[in-house]
Amino acid sequence: MNFQITRQNLVQGLASVSASIPSKTTLPVLSNILFEAAPDGVRMSATDLDVGVRVQVPANVSEGGSLTAPGKKLQEIAKELPDQPVQITTRGDQIELVCGRSRFKLNGLPADDFPALPSVSFDGGWVAEGANLLSLIQHTSFAVSTEESRPVLNGVLWELRDGEMRMVATNGHRLARMRIPAGPSVETTAQLIVPPAALDQVRRLFKGDETIRVGREANHLGFRSESIEVYTRLIEGTYPNYEQVIPKDNDKHAIMERKSLESAIRRVAAVASDQTHRIRMEFSENRVVFNVLTPDLGEAHDEIEIGYEYDPIAIGFNANYLLEVLRYVGSDEVKMSFKAPERAATVEPVGAEGETVDDYLCLVMPLRLVD
Amino acid sequence: MRAERSQRRILLLDCDAFFVQVARLENPDEAGRARLLLVGGSASGRGVVTSASYEARTYGVHSAMPMAEALRLCPDALVVPVPRRACSERSRAIREVLGSLAPVVQAASIDEFYLDLSGTERLLRDESLGDTARRIRQRVLDETEISVSIGAGTGRLVAKLAAGRAKPAGVHVVPGGKEADFLSSFALSQIPGVGPALLEALHDRGLNSVQDLVGVEEAWLRRWFGEARGRWLWERSRGIDPSPVVAEEERKSISSERTFHRDLSDPELLERHLLQLVISVGESLRGKGLSARTITVKIRDSDFRTRQSSQTIDPAFESDRLLFERAREMVRTLRERRPRPTRLIGVGVSNFQSTGGARQLSMLDEHPAEESDRDRTLSRLGDELRARFGREALLPGRIIPDPSTDRGIGSGPGTKDEHGES
Repeated sequence: MNFQITRQNLVQGLASVSASIPSKTTLPVLSNILFEAAPDGVRMSATDLDVGVRVQVPANVSEGGSLTAPGKKLQEIAKELPDQPVQITTRGDQIELVCGRSRFKLNGLPADDFPALPSVSFDGGWVAEGANLLSLIQHTSFAVSTEESRPVLNGVLWELRDGEMRMVATNGHRLARMRIPAGPSVETTAQLIVPPAALDQVRRLFKGDETIRVGREANHLGFRSESIEVYTRLIEGTYPNYEQVIPKDNDKHAIMERKSLESAIRRVAAVASDQTHRIRMEFSENRVVFNVLTPDLGEAHDEIEIGYEYDPIAIGFNANYLLEVLRYVGSDEVKMSFKAPERAATVEPVGAEGETVDDYLCLVMPLRLVD
Repeated sequence: MRAERSQRRILLLDCDAFFVQVARLENPDEAGRARLLLVGGSASGRGVVTSASYEARTYGVHSAMPMAEALRLCPDALVVPVPRRACSERSRAIREVLGSLAPVVQAASIDEFYLDLSGTERLLRDESLGDTARRIRQRVLDETEISVSIGAGTGRLVAKLAAGRAKPAGVHVVPGGKEADFLSSFALSQIPGVGPALLEALHDRGLNSVQDLVGVEEAWLRRWFGEARGRWLWERSRGIDPSPVVAEEERKSISSERTFHRDLSDPELLERHLLQLVISVGESLRGKGLSARTITVKIRDSDFRTRQSSQTIDPAFESDRLLFERAREMVRTLRERRPRPTRLIGVGVSNFQSTGGARQLSMLDEHPAEESDRDRTLSRLGDELRARFGREALLPGRIIPDPSTDRGIGSGPGTKDEHGES
């Protein structure tokens, strides 16, 4: 293998794939990046066996071939190289970098040792606009569960049906759901549970103006554009029926200015228990009063004006869950709906007159007071 | 300040027949007057002796003996239940007194406390370690009405063995430099940590006494018994025990572990032991009004390799069911990874939260992997029943003693338990 590459392309290629190098591994070759040189350029790949990334970078290849070399070391070196073309060659299992007067030799491992990325056929797959896909991911993946007991909740549910693309994530305490029209090209129906780590890579590597091809093969999913491929294992299992938990009969609605709501919650939450983060919100005619009382610490009281014309109601919430949700609801105003103190509350964006808003809904379960 | 490393001054304070003393103080009219007193479970309920008065011990009664057997040996003895709450209160009171007398105090159990007095020589105006120990003994007696014995020396091992010599109501000091001599007066089996299996292995090498062991070079011990255990034997036989006395701060973990005198391979049996440890840990946790987020299990293989694994879950839990199911999974995984007979099993919880205040509601159906209100209620109910009617009042079916084998699962003659809170 022998090729010349610009320092910038090398740095970019390494940065793209190295995020999927596992930080701890029992399989040494996984700490390496696979280089495959062919006449049309160089492909770099890295994987942690769950998620794999492959990028194609332009290079002048004078001799094809492949080898794996330690990813982190290469990255450290490439970052400090002068801005000159880098010549990369292999000698046996060693990789040699020459750039100006700097020379490096690193011990690599044979390409055959590197686990093959899943082969996913993109025929029969579907196409997603980058902007849509990235928006779905950004608005939902924060809500996945990090608890190991229910693996399906560790993933984002990605549904294709009824001409829509939906993503849903929940940890059982709060849920985020977004729906986007799928466009005419999507005729497939699918229900996939995707690890958030893979979606992070998609969000990091693809751009909003790209068209992303998606393919599925058995238990793997692939995303690709011109020069980037991301593959992931899917999470097996049945996702809970989320439609069922989204309340349809929440009959009390509060319209609130998002920023002032966020600030008020943040202020009073400073005094909330750092274990339960409990705050109490009392809604009454056109205002909401926040109260926090934490034994051994102190209390806080605040209020803001809102649009509310229903019976008074008081609900306890984990402040962190509310703040998290509000961070992703992009609109200036939000609508919070509820029915009873121990029932699910929903938060949705509200558009000004004539303005369309995302079809986005978050659900937050209240805290019950005990003892 | 100059850190001059002089000899350590370690005391072990051990209460004399603690449960008996407390039972007498609690019930002066009956227990207080009975010379022959047995504290523990009832003879009909398959109970065991928790503690016997010194007078009863002369009949051959000892703790952990089935109560029925104890009564055969000593038929005139009065049997009273363990006054648990009073024991905890006295123990706390002793801990408080000791806190005012020594810079570092570590409770090893409800009735045993290690004190580290290193560096207090000047403060105590060069009072001899024996005089200090006697002064502490008297203070504890004056302030808590509990008589204790104190062993003293340069390490925990020596202090612990010396306390045994000091009993009852005495003080025994092993001077620095005399540790090896002191150790040689004990049988191998009396060294804490030397169990029947190790004893047999030692006998196989012709090592029948501590002196025999001292005569063997460290390199040979390592070769025969493995690196860690060889070194351990070499040190222990010379009375060397560098382990520190660690002061307790706010409780950060609760754990319980059990050493088997014969290594166990049967998973079912191990799980039954695990369940008992879980109940004991769960009870302490709930008793403090806490819930926990992290579970740690620990197993020690027959070759002394100790392995552990931890898991943090959200939300915090407090029920025995959840703790047991997670711990069981973790133990299974550990044992699959390295299938060996098990010498010790332990479970602990940490990462505490206070349960008061609020409970996060869930939108999803109750899932078996999560704790339900029912789990919590059941666990608390169990605690209440056991507090009122004794240890065996409410136990899961799988750990109830099996009459067909006449052998219960649990701490008893075949095991050694350690309950720790740190």
